[in-house]
Amino acid sequence: MTVLALVLILFALVTFVAGQIFLKHAMESTTQTAFPKSSVAIQLGAGILLMTVSFFITLGLLQRFDLSYLYPFQGLSVVIISVIAALVLKEKLSWRLMIGALLITAGVVLVSIS
Amino acid sequence: MTSNRPSGFANPWLQLALSVLCVVASELLLKRGATQVADLNSALSWTGINGLTSALVWWAILLVIISFASWLYVLKYIPLTIAFPLSRVVDVLVPISCWIFLGEVISVRRWCGIALVIIGLALVAKPVARLEEKL
Repeated sequence: MTVLALVLILFALVTFVAGQIFLKHAMESTTQTAFPKSSVAIQLGAGILLMTVSFFITLGLLQRFDLSYLYPFQGLSVVIISVIAALVLKEKLSWRLMIGALLITAGVVLVSIS
Repeated sequence: MTSNRPSGFANPWLQLALSVLCVVASELLLKRGATQVADLNSALSWTGINGLTSALVWWAILLVIISFASWLYVLKYIPLTIAFPLSRVVDVLVPISCWIFLGEVISVRRWCGIALVIIGLALVAKPVARLEEKL
């Protein structure tokens, strides 16, 4: 595991999380009767752009490492996304959901260090 | 249960399952495709762009697009704090598929990790039943 690989893994993670938040915010707006179409389009575009960057970085990493080793790093995104969805999107985050998210992340990290 | 919740194929929970299955299949195709055309000596290969020369990678991209469309639909109806953790059932399905289809090895510790993820998923899924009643 080189430093470059670690940086690329983190970069793929951050762009992925930011992309999800943009997409959720955009899609939630569409359930309202009169929603601002241009701002939804911009948010969807930003979300898709961020996810695309994350996708290609991941593709490059896949050529060097086992999928079962690399992929679980995305497990960290569970806790990060749950917390950011609660903070930014004002979603309800119960203790039960938080513990569930932490267990998923713990399990995924355990998988990745095996 | 109110009448405005989409049912049948438009059911957001069914779409979540569809999205997850497409992701699992696409990951396996990406790994196989990317490895087939890997040229590790090229400096450009860190960008992953040469992966596009593999047909399997393009099938994977098609599946990614399908899963993306159904995921957007899921986001319309299900809170991210529930939908996203549940979507991580892929973290169970992907390693097990790697073991079955790609011949990758799963150690004891890795199986323990997979078990932890399943417990976490169960914790997140339990309130879903109550959420369903409210919808």
